[in-house]
Amino acid sequence: MESSESLKTRIRSVVFNYGLAILSVTSALLITQSLKPTVFPTPLFFGAIVISTWFGGTWPGVIAVVFATLLLDFYFVSPVRAFGVHTSDVPYLAQFILPALLSGWFTRKRKEAETALKEARDQLDLKVQERTAQLRRTNEQLQSEIAERKRAEETVHKTQADLAHLTRVMTMSELATSIAHEVNQPLAAVVTNGAACMRWLAVEPPNLERARDSVTRIINEGNRASEVIKRIRALSKKTSLQKSALGIKEVIQDVLGLVGPELVKNRVLLTCDLKPDLPPVFGDRVQLQQVILNLIMNCIEAMQEVSQRPRELLIKSETSDRGQVLVSVRDSGMGLDAQQLDHIFEAFFTTKPEGVGMGLSISRTIIEAHGGRLWATTNNGPGATFQFTLPTAERGS
Amino acid sequence: MSGTEPIVFVVDDDAAVRDAIKDLLESVGIGVETFSSGREFLARKPTEAPSCLVLDVRLPGTSGLDFQRELVAANTEIPIIFITGHGDIPMTVQAMKAGAIDFLTKPFRDQDLLDAIHKAIARDRDRRQQRAEVAELRQRYEELTLREREVMKLVTQGLLNKQIAAELGASETTVKIHRGQVMRKMGAESLPDLVRMAEKLCIPAQKY
Repeated sequence: MESSESLKTRIRSVVFNYGLAILSVTSALLITQSLKPTVFPTPLFFGAIVISTWFGGTWPGVIAVVFATLLLDFYFVSPVRAFGVHTSDVPYLAQFILPALLSGWFTRKRKEAETALKEARDQLDLKVQERTAQLRRTNEQLQSEIAERKRAEETVHKTQADLAHLTRVMTMSELATSIAHEVNQPLAAVVTNGAACMRWLAVEPPNLERARDSVTRIINEGNRASEVIKRIRALSKKTSLQKSALGIKEVIQDVLGLVGPELVKNRVLLTCDLKPDLPPVFGDRVQLQQVILNLIMNCIEAMQEVSQRPRELLIKSETSDRGQVLVSVRDSGMGLDAQQLDHIFEAFFTTKPEGVGMGLSISRTIIEAHGGRLWATTNNGPGATFQFTLPTAERGS
Repeated sequence: MSGTEPIVFVVDDDAAVRDAIKDLLESVGIGVETFSSGREFLARKPTEAPSCLVLDVRLPGTSGLDFQRELVAANTEIPIIFITGHGDIPMTVQAMKAGAIDFLTKPFRDQDLLDAIHKAIARDRDRRQQRAEVAELRQRYEELTLREREVMKLVTQGLLNKQIAAELGASETTVKIHRGQVMRKMGAESLPDLVRMAEKLCIPAQKY
């Protein structure tokens, strides 16, 4: 099917090429005839040969030369209207044939060069197209990879933040239980040994030997309890901070992503005033998230009793007077009285029935470890405001 | 008297706590033996002396509460005093329901522990005494003839001599003699005394 189709096109092109040669030479003859004798007969034939060779190729060009020679011989060379040639006219014919062949040959060469150039151009074009397509594909791939990585990163961040929150809750109670047991054992021994010692001293006569043994045990167990505390201290030092330059706005937004459902559930109206282009702070992302999360959760809890006025939460980030980054979290909750303000950052101080009383204490420790300050103030209106400052990256590092 | 000197067994995986309790009990003259695990305690030969067990709830392997269950299942009726670093209410309830004497939170007051130990020892002593009594009664009961046992059963069910005679198809006099023998052999001073003995021996009291 396809081969017959290509055969047809080939036949068509052959017919066209040779037909063009015959036609152009014939036209040259007719025009020359009609203009005779004012025009020298040969130039138009040259034109026909050039056209035939240019459009038809080598062989139609040769046919045109032969045909033109024959016509020239037949019509213009004596004896006219016969194919014979007088010896005197041979140079004339040769004068025609030689340039005719030459012009055909040059035309062919020129055509070939042109074709090669065109092909090269086409090829170049094709190559450019190919390259462009390839580039586009690579680009698309890169784009999707970037998107993928971004998604993965977001997931990691979210998981990290969730985890941070969870571990904050988990470790508190677990650590407390563990410490309680580890310290309680030696304490129990101390108390019991102390009681035994009293009894050894109370008998008549006092059994000083045994009393001394009891006291020795008391000292040993006191030291053991102290060792436990030392181990815990060492443990807390071991968790090194992973500090980097952070945009506080992003850190806040990370946390907001987490507390969104809480805000909706508690019908809290959130207003954010996060200044763009704040200088980056130098800190541990997860720890700062914990602080902000803690402050926001405190605000939400402080507003749980509020029903007469809107529950409003305002989160602001700006530059402080001293060029530090200042974050404030303001609620319209129950507020704080003077006595609470004095103790609110102490460990185990809580106003909540279910509270542990560690959140603000830990938050302050974190902020201070970052070289900043965390404090609370009562609002002019209802509620309280918690604020913290952080040194900017250049100063902190 | 050496067999009746009370002894307290302490099971706690913490050597310091163990030694402290030992020290305390020795200071008031109570015999103590300490063990680091329930298994170690079980490997000890059972004692004839009134005793009790001071048991830490948090033990490696089986917990103190599990160990208590094991002891109950094995019919080892030793009174248990639990000590724990961190006892919650359900834990306490479970322990007390399973028969614990007390549940003390570390660090406990020495007097609280001593009171609990005295209470536990007293209970164990009672239990042992009762068991000894029953054993003694059983031995006496074993010495009765079959006919005497029948008479004892009917007497303690409240039948008169005449009724017993009719029941057994014997003369009233014979019944009287048997009854006298039963009272003597069992060492009963009165009929109520004998009824109490029958109860302790679980001789069926209902009429047939």
